[in-house]
Amino acid sequence: MKIVILVMLLCYSFAFSSGDTTIHTNNWAVLVCTSRFWFNYRHMANTLSLYRTVKRLGIPDERIILMLADDMACNARNEYPAQVFNNENHKLNLYGDNVEVDYRGYEVTVENFLRVLTGRHENAVPRSKRLLSDEGSHILLYMTGHGGDEFLKFQDAEELQSHDLADAVKQMKEKRRFKELMIMVDTCQAATLFNQLQSPGVLAIGSSLKGENSYSHHLDSDVGVSVVDRFTYYTLAFFERLNIYDNASLNSLFRSYDPKLLMSTAYYRTDLYQPHLAEVPVTNFFGSVMETIHTDSVYKAFSSKTSNNKINSEMPVNQLSEHDELQKANIPNDELKTEKQKCPYTQMRVDLHEKLEKFENVDTVVNLGIAVMVFVVMISSSLL
Amino acid sequence: MATEKRDKEEEEVKTDDGSLKIKPRPIVQLGIFLVAHSPVFSVVFSAAGVLALLILPLLAKNTYISENALMPGSARSMLSNRDVSDGSKLVKDIKNYRLNHEGQGVEVQKLIGKYMSEMGAEVYYQKFHPEGNQFHPLHFFSGPDSYTLLDNVSCASYGVNVAGIIRAPRGDGKESIVLVTPYDFINGGDYEALSLGITGTLFSLLARVTWLSKDIIWLVADSRYGDYRPVAAWLTEYHSPSFKDSDLLKCGELNTADKFRRAGTMAAALVLKVDGRSERFEDTLSIYAEASNGQMPNLDLINVVNYLAVHRQGFYVKVEKVVSLLSSSWLKIIGEIFEAVGKLAHTLNPDWNFGIPTADYLEGSATLASSLYSQALGIPTGPHGAFRDYQVDAITLKVSPRFPPDSKTRQHDFFLRGAKLLEGTIRSVNNLLEKFHQSFFLYLLTSPSKFISVGVYMIAFALLVASLPMVAASLYIDGCKALNNSTLNPAGNFKSWKWLDAAKQVFALHLFGLIVTLLPYFICQVPGQHSPSNRSIMWGTTSSSLLLITFATIPGCSPFSSRRHGTNWAVLKSVTISAAFIGLCLMSIINFATAEIGALLLVPTCLIVQPIKPALRSRRIKSLLGAFCSMVLLTIGFPVMLFAISKGLFGEGLVGLSLGGEFWTWLESLWAWKSATYLYIGMVHLPCWLLCLCILFHPS
Repeated sequence: MKIVILVMLLCYSFAFSSGDTTIHTNNWAVLVCTSRFWFNYRHMANTLSLYRTVKRLGIPDERIILMLADDMACNARNEYPAQVFNNENHKLNLYGDNVEVDYRGYEVTVENFLRVLTGRHENAVPRSKRLLSDEGSHILLYMTGHGGDEFLKFQDAEELQSHDLADAVKQMKEKRRFKELMIMVDTCQAATLFNQLQSPGVLAIGSSLKGENSYSHHLDSDVGVSVVDRFTYYTLAFFERLNIYDNASLNSLFRSYDPKLLMSTAYYRTDLYQPHLAEVPVTNFFGSVMETIHTDSVYKAFSSKTSNNKINSEMPVNQLSEHDELQKANIPNDELKTEKQKCPYTQMRVDLHEKLEKFENVDTVVNLGIAVMVFVVMISSSLL
Repeated sequence: MATEKRDKEEEEVKTDDGSLKIKPRPIVQLGIFLVAHSPVFSVVFSAAGVLALLILPLLAKNTYISENALMPGSARSMLSNRDVSDGSKLVKDIKNYRLNHEGQGVEVQKLIGKYMSEMGAEVYYQKFHPEGNQFHPLHFFSGPDSYTLLDNVSCASYGVNVAGIIRAPRGDGKESIVLVTPYDFINGGDYEALSLGITGTLFSLLARVTWLSKDIIWLVADSRYGDYRPVAAWLTEYHSPSFKDSDLLKCGELNTADKFRRAGTMAAALVLKVDGRSERFEDTLSIYAEASNGQMPNLDLINVVNYLAVHRQGFYVKVEKVVSLLSSSWLKIIGEIFEAVGKLAHTLNPDWNFGIPTADYLEGSATLASSLYSQALGIPTGPHGAFRDYQVDAITLKVSPRFPPDSKTRQHDFFLRGAKLLEGTIRSVNNLLEKFHQSFFLYLLTSPSKFISVGVYMIAFALLVASLPMVAASLYIDGCKALNNSTLNPAGNFKSWKWLDAAKQVFALHLFGLIVTLLPYFICQVPGQHSPSNRSIMWGTTSSSLLLITFATIPGCSPFSSRRHGTNWAVLKSVTISAAFIGLCLMSIINFATAEIGALLLVPTCLIVQPIKPALRSRRIKSLLGAFCSMVLLTIGFPVMLFAISKGLFGEGLVGLSLGGEFWTWLESLWAWKSATYLYIGMVHLPCWLLCLCILFHPS
């Protein structure tokens, strides 16, 4: 009997610690700008630039949580009303028509940020403001603002400390809210924010080491403020060369940071992250491109999906059809996974269950059973 | 109070001497030690205080922009030639009109108003009465709100201000920035008109920019009756609207009723003046910042203007300095000594870099002296002072161009650069989210880019006054001993009440000081026209007779009373020093610079003064020297004398006979500006000086 229980426990532990073996199914991005006030224009521009990049590389709006602590576009001091630029050439308006800000202004607090990460929301919070990731999700967490030794300032009023972040990540891991998490931070002394992280599957990159400042890249003398930070500027410069199908590795991204240009040392922490960086494409985090598995049979359950697909394929946008294909591919993956994961004990139980199903006259079986039991009791009592 | 406390501690120790031996706490021991050796320590502390004051120019730090939001010079100037030609046209129009027309009308104001409304601003005119500042003892510290409009005003003399408001296109309309250009519409010279040109140029730009978050108010103040009054009148009406129709509104052809417009709280104000021709090769910009009672605008405002003027527009920026100090030989010697010490320190340890060249030291000291003097006087150095009364940070910028006012070609460039400077400053202030608060409010300037903060300059004052409580305590102990020895009456047992007699005298003389302070109000009420000299004579005679009455009525108060009634001089001096200490400390909170200068005069006098009779009797050189010193210090300490000396120091000629009249005028200006220095002179300095005189002639 003990052996059976042991086997049972083993089975369960296998089933639950299977994060590594889960297949990457979807991508999420949480982009946070934590500082307000006009002179922090660049932080908002940083975040919006990254928003634009991940969107371009294939993460849809519903899987991006965008948190902006202030509204620079509509600030009275903005010489270009309702526009935000990250370059003084003003070629690219980051605040175009399809920007969906999920948390804005005073909603950007440490509390809300931690709620988003851990998924502990109040009931009234709409789905669009939640991070609905699962154990197959790759999450990009980008944060910018004013930081210091093991903290990041939110709104001039409160701060997120490194152990708050580590705790939130740990909770996420426990609740199987991600498969892999990449944290990218552009603040002063960004590296210190990762000190307390422990959870596996987390990759962290910061713009500067302890004691270093992160500097802005350049000043837009029309707007009158600095418009982008150096680290983000060179990150964007890297991604501008890429399209959705490129296979550039994370390693090539990390190697692209030149401390001389950055005026700080980009730091990345990989000890919690197992895959080899040279083999991981950047689109694992910054895009939403995944392996497509061709299957022979068409699933019946998908009949409605395919009809949807017809409508979608009429749309000119590549991204959407791509996305649907991915979803199509995801479901078989899940099936395969459950097939693989069946352990002998469950198999036995299922078999037993199936056999029981086959009995037609259950009542007689029960009556017979009771009679046998009475008989056994009588014999045993007579023996004693 | 500190003195009394120390006295008590001292007494406890003494009573404990015989019976119980309780070891006092270390702080008490230190107090006892200091009091016991008070003569040495008082000399050391006073010398250190004076030295600390002299060393201040060395300790000056470079200014820096403290507020992140300001970001001066980060935005490119958007001024175009069109704006400059708009401004030039305004100046030309005004000049042409003034050439062709003479008289008292308001046509020039209307011309400016038309220009403003063409730019798209809301324009209105405001009439004001030229007389505002009247001395009233009850209104001394109250704000300008207490100034009520006179009902029966005549239409004979009034001024008309013009103001235009540009609303920020996307601003919330809760804040504003004020530009003031004082202009005498009747007698204004060509240079004055240039300030209108600069502001006109800027106004033309601001009317079309999209980045304003605060409204812009341009006030052209009618400076016919001085620069200050029109601005003060406008501010009063801005902040406390009167709902009663004044007769003034109906004067003249211009009806200004119900037209006054406002635009939120003021974030900052800039007063622009153009006067005279620059003596240097560059255009000169002088910054005036001192408001009433030594209040200063936030240092960040000066920093922004200084930064933009020096690094962007190439002005030569200066602040006021005492020119006569630049050539003084004793200061030069001190500077050389400091330079030598600095060099020596640098050779000992290369990290010690406090030495500065003698020339820099002289410049710094001269500017510091001017800064101290202006703050101590408590009279605003320009129309910006009116803003400080409403807690608005404001400075006056006086620009002197390097060309004659009729040079057309240079004028264009001058307008462009002046307007760019103002534009940059306004854009910085426009970026602000809160009031100025990051940088210092309490500071002294030693150059436009160097300052001494409150934490540093307080040391000099603290060292100076530190010796007072020590000496008071030790004198009190001495006095008590002497009393016990001389009189053996049973009342002597009430040891702690010894000071009561002396305190009565000190109180009486302070009361006298208060009455003397209030006398000018009543003298002003005397019917008939009197010259300042007559008034000062009236004041002098009433004061002296009052003093005699005081001496006569209060027994033991006079230095000439018989010895039996007179108090012990040591106790009297002790209480006098305590009173001076309290007075100086209170004043240092109200106006630090006054307290600092007051302490420089009062502390040595109080410390050194001793009865002259025993000194003359003893005929020892030491006591004779002491008596001589106290005589000299007391002579200098007399307020009128002090005034004469300071006039001589600042390079103004002394007119012997009219000294009384000038002194009266000076004091009148002090109370008219509600300067706390006036109260200090009347209620702290004068009584203490009289008490020192009593001690000097004490019949012991």
